Order: sequence, then C-alpha cells, then structure tokens
Amino acid sequence: MTEFMAYLESRISEGKEEIVTLEADSRKDDAIFARIRTNIYDVCRTVSLALTDRPGAGSDAVRAQLDRFRTEWRTALEKAKQHDEFRAVAVEETKLAALEDIIAHFPEVTKA
Amino acid sequence: MTQENALKIFKCLSDTSRLRIIQSLTQGDMYAELLAERLELTPPTVSFHMKKLEDAGLVISRREQYYTVYSLNRVVLENTIYEVAVSEPEQIDEQQEREDAYRRKVIRAFFEYGRLRAIPVQRKKKQICYELIAEHFEPGRVYEEKEVNAVISPIYEDYCTIRRDMISEGIFRRDGTRYVRLK
Repeated sequence: MTEFMAYLESRISEGKEEIVTLEADSRKDDAIFARIRTNIYDVCRTVSLALTDRPGAGSDAVRAQLDRFRTEWRTALEKAKQHDEFRAVAVEETKLAALEDIIAHFPEVTKA
Repeated sequence: MTQENALKIFKCLSDTSRLRIIQSLTQGDMYAELLAERLELTPPTVSFHMKKLEDAGLVISRREQYYTVYSLNRVVLENTIYEVAVSEPEQIDEQQEREDAYRRKVIRAFFEYGRLRAIPVQRKKKQICYELIAEHFEPGRVYEEKEVNAVISPIYEDYCTIRRDMISEGIFRRDGTRYVRLK
C-alpha cells in the first residue's frame, strides 16, 4: 500500500502543478478538468488512508470502495448521457478515467 | 449575427485549447480522438470543447460510422472581427429576460435530471418548480387522482404534498378525485 499511496500523492502534486500551468496559459476549462481529476486522486488517497488504518479493513476494503465509486459514477454518466448534459458527461468521464487509472495501479502495487 | 452570438464567439475563442482546435481543423476535418491525441488532451475534455465550439457556431459535426467528424464552419469564421464586434443587440424585454434568468437559476438549483431535489421554502421558487411540474399535464384535461400521482411520483416521492400545494397555488382545480390543470 505504501507504493500505491506514493503514486496517488505524486499524481496529486503533478495535478496541482498542471492546474497552475493551465490557468496561466488561458486554458480555464482544461484547468477545471485537471482540478476534477486531481480531486479524484485526493479523494481516493483520503479513503485509502482511512480504510487501511481501520482495524479489520485493509486493502480489500479499499478495493471494494473503489469499485463502489466506479458503479456510482458509471450510473451518473449514463444519467448524464440520457439527459444530454454535455458538461456532466465530460465531468463523469473525467472522474471515471482517473478512477480507472487508480484501479489499474492498485493490484500492481499491492502484489509487489 | 446578433450581439448574443458575437459574445458567444468571443467567449468561446478566449481559450488557448479551443484556438488550437480551430488551428488544427484548418488543416482538414478531424474526429475528436485524433484531436485529443494531437493536442495532448483527454477525449472528454476535447468533447467538451467541441460542444462549446459547436454551440458558438464555429464548428460543424457529422457522423461517419463510429466517429463524429468535426469541420470548421467557414461561413461564421470568415466574418471579420469588425463585423462580429458591430453586431446588433437583440430587441429584448429586459424585465422578461431577468425573470427568465431567475427561473432558469431556480430550476437548475432544485431539479436534477427532471427530479425535484427538495420543495423550496420560498413561495416564488416553489411556484416556479410547480409550474414546471404542471407542464407534464395538459391544460383543461380531466385527470384522475391516481393519474396525477403517477405523473408526480417519479419527480418527487412526496407526491401528496405537491398535489395539494398545486391546488392551493391555483395550478390545479380539484373536483372530488378529479383534477384539471388551470394554468
């Protein structure tokens, strides 16, 4: 879990730098999406910290929570598509892309 | 071109990424995935920018098999900045415009995907929400109570409160178990 947490922290600090660069480059909307992405890494880091510290929880509980996020956000994405809410579609797709990256790194790190 | 359209164009173009998308499209029509790759943006971000460019009338999209292909709308882009800047303001009723904007704001705050989040406390906001719900009913047509409930319940779980409030707000007239939309 240590490497996984380090990965999340590195993505958060890269994200923060990216937001500053994008805002300075008059790319306000891109900066908003970068902030959404960074928030997802931050939320997952907070959840992972809380669950791994809890007695009887650990990495399985973290993985289960990430899967719950995935289910909820896929539902939100479908709803946004059904209602043709292009902004919400872009937001949900951005959140899911970040989450997929986090999940892709999760087993790889814990097996090591 | 109206002043509203001109504002949309200027707002849309005051973004480096969208200017880069326009520049890429000068080389030829492209689909979103290719633009994302060229501009090092994520596909959702590119789709978002494309929708804004389309809304401003700067690009046109068409479906080709599995892809949406984008091209420049040269009719709009070949206007000079002078022509766009001196566009005429639309003749609008300012009071009506303010009321419409307020209505849109209330609806955005209280509805999500057609469902009412909560019944507003303020009467004016409540009226706006109920007027929107009333649009699901044909004026003058007689509805049975269970029909009214069936329409309101997917919008808000406490359909009884909504139904009663809509009578007291003068939106519905009740005659026994029958309801008629008045406004």
